[in-house]
Amino acid sequence: MKETLNKMLKIDRRWLFLLLTFAIIIPILKPIGIPSKSTSDAVKDIYDFIDKLPPGSTIILSLDYDPSTAPELHPQAAVVLKHAFKKNLKVIIMTFLAGSGGLIDELVRTIPTKYSKEYGRDYVLLPYMPNILAALTQMSSNIYAFYEKDIDGKPLREYEMMKNIQSYKDIACVVDITGTAILDYWVAYVGDKYKVPILGGVTAISQVGYGPYLQKKQLKGLIGGMKGAAEYERLISEVGKGTSGIDALNIAHILVIVFIIFSNIVLLILKFL
Amino acid sequence: MMKIIKFSLISLFFISNLFAMPSKSKKQAEQKNQNIELSSLQLIDYPSDRGDMIILKWDIEKENDLTYEIYVSTNKENWIKAKEVKNGEWTLEKIDLPFWMWNKKESKNAVLLEVTKIFSISEEDFFDKYKDGFKLYAKLNILNKNKRFETQIVEGMAKGNWFRTDRLNSLITVIIVSLVFFIVVSHAKKKELFIRRIAGLDAIDEAVGRATEMGKPVIYVPGIGSMSNISTIASVFILGEVGKKIAQYDATIKVPHYDPIVFTVAKETIKQAYIEAERPDSYRDDINMFITQDQFAYAAAVDGMITREKPAACFYMGYFMAESLLLAEVGASAGAIQIAGTDIDSQLPFFVTACDYTLIGEELYAAGAYLSKEPMLVSALKVQDFGKLLFIIFASILSIILIIAAKTGSTNFTNTILDILKVR
Amino acid sequence: MKIIKKYIPLAIVFIFGMITLASYYVPHRTSEEYLEWINRWENIVSAFALFLGMISLFYVHYKKIERKVDGWGYSLFVYIGFLIIMVAAMISHGDISKGGKVTCLGWTFNNIYNPLSATMFSVLAFFIISTAYRAFRIKSTSAFMLFLAGLILMLGNIPLGEIIWDKLFSWTHITIAEIKNWIINVPSTAGKRGIMIGIAIGAAVTSLKIIFGIERGYMGKD
Repeated sequence: MKETLNKMLKIDRRWLFLLLTFAIIIPILKPIGIPSKSTSDAVKDIYDFIDKLPPGSTIILSLDYDPSTAPELHPQAAVVLKHAFKKNLKVIIMTFLAGSGGLIDELVRTIPTKYSKEYGRDYVLLPYMPNILAALTQMSSNIYAFYEKDIDGKPLREYEMMKNIQSYKDIACVVDITGTAILDYWVAYVGDKYKVPILGGVTAISQVGYGPYLQKKQLKGLIGGMKGAAEYERLISEVGKGTSGIDALNIAHILVIVFIIFSNIVLLILKFL
Repeated sequence: MMKIIKFSLISLFFISNLFAMPSKSKKQAEQKNQNIELSSLQLIDYPSDRGDMIILKWDIEKENDLTYEIYVSTNKENWIKAKEVKNGEWTLEKIDLPFWMWNKKESKNAVLLEVTKIFSISEEDFFDKYKDGFKLYAKLNILNKNKRFETQIVEGMAKGNWFRTDRLNSLITVIIVSLVFFIVVSHAKKKELFIRRIAGLDAIDEAVGRATEMGKPVIYVPGIGSMSNISTIASVFILGEVGKKIAQYDATIKVPHYDPIVFTVAKETIKQAYIEAERPDSYRDDINMFITQDQFAYAAAVDGMITREKPAACFYMGYFMAESLLLAEVGASAGAIQIAGTDIDSQLPFFVTACDYTLIGEELYAAGAYLSKEPMLVSALKVQDFGKLLFIIFASILSIILIIAAKTGSTNFTNTILDILKVR
Repeated sequence: MKIIKKYIPLAIVFIFGMITLASYYVPHRTSEEYLEWINRWENIVSAFALFLGMISLFYVHYKKIERKVDGWGYSLFVYIGFLIIMVAAMISHGDISKGGKVTCLGWTFNNIYNPLSATMFSVLAFFIISTAYRAFRIKSTSAFMLFLAGLILMLGNIPLGEIIWDKLFSWTHITIAEIKNWIINVPSTAGKRGIMIGIAIGAAVTSLKIIFGIERGYMGKD
C-alpha cells in the first residue's frame, strides 16, 4: 500500500493534464449553467459608471492586449463595447500594443452590425501608436496632433462623431483593457493629471495589484479576468464568452482543489503508515 | 434776496437732475455693467509648473450666493469665458500644493486656469511661441441676484518654473539618503561587514558543481527586462559571478536572451568572466544567444532548450512576467536544480513553489555585494538598511501622531503631516 | 584604451544619471524635452541592438544547420518562419486589414501567431495544476497557512465555491467573498507593501551605485 501511495504522490503529470483537459472541454461543449451568486463591487462600479453616461457621450476604449491574454480580456472588451453601443455612446477605439490589431479587427467585424452601429458615426478606429507617453500627454490638448488619420488613413476630423471632439475635456471616460502595465499609465498620466475618469479591465492575476487604485478612486471600476467579464455580461443580460467560459473555470478550480486535498490526504496516510 | 436766489439755484439743480435721471431700462443697463474695484483680485503664476497654468485668486465674500464668471484675454479686447464658479466653491485648499508653498488657511477663492485648454492652443505651439511666458489679462463678472458687477482687469504671466518646490520633501529625503550613502561608502572598511546568509546565492556553488559532475550545461535566463530595469542589471552582475565559476570548473553555460541590449552587455560580461578565471580559450561566442522579443515565443524557445539539453542547473534572475511558471515548471520536470530571483511580486509565488531557492526582491539587488564581498558594495547595502530603518521609524511615529491628531480633531496638524509625507 | 573602455562610459552614466534625476525636480518644458529626446535615443539604440541580436540569432542557427546537430531542422524553421512573415509584411505594407479585408499579414497573424501565443499562455494552466499538486503539501505550519489561504482564494474566485461555502459554512454568517477580500486587502497587501518598500529602497540605492560608478556590472568587468 505504501508503494501505491508513493506512486500516487509522484504520479506522471500528464495524467493530471489529461484530467484537466476533460474538466475544461466538457463544460465548454456542454454548458452546465452554474449560477453566479454575486457581482463584485469593482465590476458593478464600472457598469454603473457607463450606464449613467448620457447617450451621445464619447468614450475612449483602449484595447492593449495580445492573443496570449485574449481568452480573459477579449470577452471584457466585447462586453464593454456591447454595453457602450446599447447606451448609444460613441466609441473611439485605440491601441498601444502592436499585437492587438487582429483582435480589434475581430471585435469590430461582429459587434457593431448587431447594434446597427456605423463606422464614423458611432465608432472610429485609431491606428497603433508606439509612443504611449507622448500620445497620452498630447491628447490632453489636441487629439489630432497625434491621430490625424484613422486606421484606414482617412482624416479623423471628417467623421461625424469627431466633430465636437478636441481633447480629453470632450471625453466622458477612458476604458483600458490590458494585460500589461498600460493601465497604470492611463491612471497616472491621464486620470490623475487631467481628471479624466479611468475604468479598467485586467487579467485575474493582475487584479489584486489594482486594489490601492480602486480604494483611492483613481480607478472608477475594474473588471478582473473571465469571472469579471461573466459578471458584466450578466449585468447587461447578454451571454458571451465570459459566461460560457465560467463553467470551465469553476470545474477546473474545483479539480485543482481536489488534487491538492488528495495529495495531502495521501501524505497524511503515509506519515502514519 | 440772496437766500431766494440760492434756494432757486439749488431747486433748479435738483429739478434738472430729476429730469436727467435715466429711464428704468437704462438704469438696468447701467447696473449690468456696474464697475467694482476688487482689491484682492490677483492673477499669479502657478508655482512649480512648466508654464501653462495660472491662478486667479480673490477674497471669499460673506454673501454666499455670489457667482463669478471668469473672463480672460490676451489683449484686453477679445474676452473668453474661462469658468463660472460659486463663491467659496474653489479655494486655496483645493489646489494641490503643500503648506510650505502658500497659506492654505487664507480665506480666498482660487481658480486654476489651464491656458492651453482655454485658448485651444496645442502644447507644441504654446511652448514654441511662448518660451518666455504667456501674458494674459483676467476680470470677473460678479452675479448677485439680479445685479451684475464687473471688476477691474488684472494682468499676470504664466511662466515655466525651474524648480518644483512642491517636491521639496522628496528632495530632502534623497539628499539625506545620498549623504548617508557617501559617508558609509567612503568609510568602507577592509574588514568584512556582516551580511545575513542568502541561501539562493550560497547555492550557486552547489549548482555549478552539480553541472560539472553531471557533464550537463547550466542555463541562465536573465528575464524579459531591458537594461533600464534594476533587476536586469543585478542579473547581469550575478551572471558575471556565475560565469566565473563556470569557467573555473570548466562547465558549460547557455544564456538565452530576450532583449538585444542585454544580450550585448551579457556577452561582454561572460567574456570578461572567462578572462578573469584565466580560461579565455574556453570562451565561445554562442554562449549568449538572442532568441526573440516576444514573451511567449521566448518562453517556448527556452522551454525547448531545457527539455532537449536537460541542464543540471537553471538560473532565473531578473524581470519576469507570466512566463515565469512556464520556465520553472519545465526546469523542475527536467530535474534541474533551480535558483530564481525577481522583484516582481506577482511572480514570486510561482518561483517559490517551483524552484529550490528564490531570491526575493532586494536580495537580488544585494547579490552584487554578497558574491563579490567588495567593501564598497557591502557598505552600500548598509545604506539600504539605513533607508529601511528610517522608513520604519517615520512610519511608526507618524502613524501614532496621525491617529492622535485624527482622534482629537486637529485637522490642520493632520493635513500638515500628510503634506510632508505626500510625494507629488 | 582605458579611457574609452572605462572612463567615458562612467562619465556618460554619471552625467545622464544626474540630469535625469534633476529633471524630476525641474518642471520647465526644457526638462520634458530632454526626457523625450532621451527616449528617442533609447529607441535608436534599441533598433541597432536588435540588428545585432538578429545577426546572433541567424549565426547560431546557421552553425546548427552546418554541423547538423540534433534538432537542426528546427533551426531551419527559424529562417523559414522569418522569411514567411517578412514576405507577408512586405506584400501587405504592414497592414493587417485593408478596406475590411484581411491581408496576407493579417492571415498569418490570425492563423499562426494568435493560436501559437494563446497556446503558450494556456499551457500555464496545466503547469499550475502540476505545481499545485507538488507544492501544496502541508509539511509545516507555514505550508498549512499557504494551503488555507490558497484554498479560500480559489473558492472565493468561482461561483461554485460560493455555493459550496454557503452549504457548509452558512452558520458562520460570513461569506467566502468577505474572507477572500480580507485576505487580499489586509495580510496580502501588508506583505506586498513591505516587499515593495524594500524593493523601492533597494532600487534607489542601486541606482545611486550605478550613477556614481560603484556598480559597474553593465559595462562588463574592468
